[in-house]
Amino acid sequence: MTQELSSLMDGELGNDEAHRAIGTCCASEEQKHTWLLYHCIGDAMRGQAPRRVEMPDAVFASIKDEPTVLAPRRWTQATVARVAMAAAASVATVGVVGWLGSQGGASAPAAVPVIAKGTSPMQPVANTAPVAATAPVSVTEDVQAYLAAHRQVPSPDLYRNVNNNRATATAR
Amino acid sequence: MTVVCVEGARRWLPALALGLACQAHGAPPPADARAWLQRAVEASRDVSYAGTFVHTNGDRISTVRVTHTNSGGDEHERIEALDGPPYEIVRHNEEMFCYFPDAKTVRLDRRINARFFPSLFRASADVIAASYDVKLGKSERVLGYDCQWVDLDPRDNLRFRERLCSEAGSGLVVRARTLDPSGRVIEQYTFSELRLGSQVARGDVKSIFEARVKQWVTDAQPREEAKGVDTGWSVSNPPAGFHKAAELRRTLPGRGQPVSQLIFSDGLASLSVFVEPNPSPGRTAEASTEDGTTTFFVRPMGDQLVTVLGEVPLTTAQRVGRSVVHRP
Repeated sequence: MTQELSSLMDGELGNDEAHRAIGTCCASEEQKHTWLLYHCIGDAMRGQAPRRVEMPDAVFASIKDEPTVLAPRRWTQATVARVAMAAAASVATVGVVGWLGSQGGASAPAAVPVIAKGTSPMQPVANTAPVAATAPVSVTEDVQAYLAAHRQVPSPDLYRNVNNNRATATAR
Repeated sequence: MTVVCVEGARRWLPALALGLACQAHGAPPPADARAWLQRAVEASRDVSYAGTFVHTNGDRISTVRVTHTNSGGDEHERIEALDGPPYEIVRHNEEMFCYFPDAKTVRLDRRINARFFPSLFRASADVIAASYDVKLGKSERVLGYDCQWVDLDPRDNLRFRERLCSEAGSGLVVRARTLDPSGRVIEQYTFSELRLGSQVARGDVKSIFEARVKQWVTDAQPREEAKGVDTGWSVSNPPAGFHKAAELRRTLPGRGQPVSQLIFSDGLASLSVFVEPNPSPGRTAEASTEDGTTTFFVRPMGDQLVTVLGEVPLTTAQRVGRSVVHRP
């Protein structure tokens, strides 16, 4: 059945098969979750912000169980409350730092990993200043800013924001 | 018969001499692990190479094209990110030109901490060996080259284990891995394709983006900032082996004032300490995160906010972050 769902997502099924797959999918809670999970994985792979889902804990627990080639270290839980992931532009050495913030309860961040608006390397962004961001988003941008300063390689998106404020145009 | 031999020798001797001169850097093979490490350090600077490498840090992957030449001690390098929005970095010794074609902006900077594989070193083998026990690992064929692994195990728990795969002929590092204490690979660089020495042309290190934009916006401020200043801040108890590489004020996005930055390095791993006024409503508790080799630690300190970011274990970042003091 999961194979059928996958094929349905990829548009590989014929009319009849597609109807049958949709019928089966909508009939079962488990299949609905699988459908949702596949879309979340697809979004994540395309570098898009995952949509808010009804069962985030279950879904993200499932994603967590997905194998990775090189095991990332576990998030430290010491003093931290929430997770927000930034998909920073990768550079020679620029990895990406997720963020475990502790905002002391003030303006509780979203409970699901959030890919910061306008910082995803996959999404082209307009060359404008970022809109007023919510707490976790601005925090992830902060991590990127420090990372860029440390590695001396600003991500193109981050750079534009800086650039708007202070660069001067010169002919070269 | 004798005449034929002499004729042959006469014909081949110049070629042989040239061959030896080209190989001078590589022959004879280093005797011990530290000599291998020193050769890898020098090769990243002296050898001409061009290739594509894959960088994996935590669970993220990026692909980068790098070209590097050295003519008469002058280093030229071109780096292009092949994933995500396009940009390239053209480096001449310590001068860096970062081209962002979408933003039509070229950013000028001076290299302090920028680390581009396979140039991972910021000090000589002797300095690195003060913090790491250097041993020879196995010999292996990698990318079609005969290679020697050099294992660096930290002498304390303040840095990660490193594994460097050095090409036998030139000494260039063609693969590098960072391991956590349990031996898992948390960061890896590996060439997927590599050309060495005379196969690399001088023109390959020139910007290919520069001609694509008529009028570049030039931002020279990073280069000014990289000259460094006395920030008034210091780390009272830096971890053994870490030396201050620079002290400056950097402009970060979204801040009215430049942020103070202290950079420390043990020759291989590095970390930055940032100090800035704690914005209101500010952070009230310490927080941290780790991903791959990158550790991020933030700590409110009175009305200031201290942030440590580097390729070090969390304990190191915490120790540094908690010993930031204002110089009298």
